[in-house]
Amino acid sequence: MKVKVSEKLDDIKTLLSEIKGVSEEVGAVIIFVGSARGIGNDGGRVLRLEYDAYEEVAVKTLEKIIGDLRDKYGIIDAVVEHRIGQVNVGEDIVYVLVASKHREEGFKAAIEIVERLKREAPIWKKEITDRGARWIENI
Amino acid sequence: MVRVRVKYFGRIRELMGVREEEYEVGDSTLEDLLMKHIPSRHGNIAGKWMRTMFQAEDRGREGIVVRSNYQIYVNGISCSMAYRLKDGDEVAILPPVGGGGG
Repeated sequence: MKVKVSEKLDDIKTLLSEIKGVSEEVGAVIIFVGSARGIGNDGGRVLRLEYDAYEEVAVKTLEKIIGDLRDKYGIIDAVVEHRIGQVNVGEDIVYVLVASKHREEGFKAAIEIVERLKREAPIWKKEITDRGARWIENI
Repeated sequence: MVRVRVKYFGRIRELMGVREEEYEVGDSTLEDLLMKHIPSRHGNIAGKWMRTMFQAEDRGREGIVVRSNYQIYVNGISCSMAYRLKDGDEVAILPPVGGGGG
């Protein structure tokens, strides 16, 4: 299991290579890449995004999510990396990789990790567009 | 002496103008910190702080109520307003989350 919340994401090819190597039982790796859209929630052109996080708790929360899904779906391993600080349009924000024996449990777990990350991890996004700036919150 | 560190995140960090700060609180609960110590130091935005953090005028038997989508952590764990602060505690004010992309 690898969880990282920091200003820089690791190289995704390296992450893929690492997770494939954790067990001979790995038969599928699902990869999700979240990136910064050019059009904001307000319809304006995005100038940049800013991410803030309670890093220690965010890491623990993501580790718990992965642990839960290991129990629920029997996945072999997972990696979650999330950026903080300034993110420009087109840049990657989050990587989720799930290694499993078969594709089905991998897809299910990957979707659930991303959904729970958005709801539970103490990470905040501010969207700055040509129409203004606002915090995007799951209320 | 009871000294605690308070960390602000997201829109609250922006409102307060600082990422973290320290308070000497004496014998105080978490509610005292949020209702008295913090607004008294930040008098210029005290009204907005109270409106942002708390349900309007809701003082029932359980005391003041923090908005349901806000969380207050002490040392990394969600905590009740009656918690009595200890020297070295780290208090974190967490507005509604919204991470991720895609």
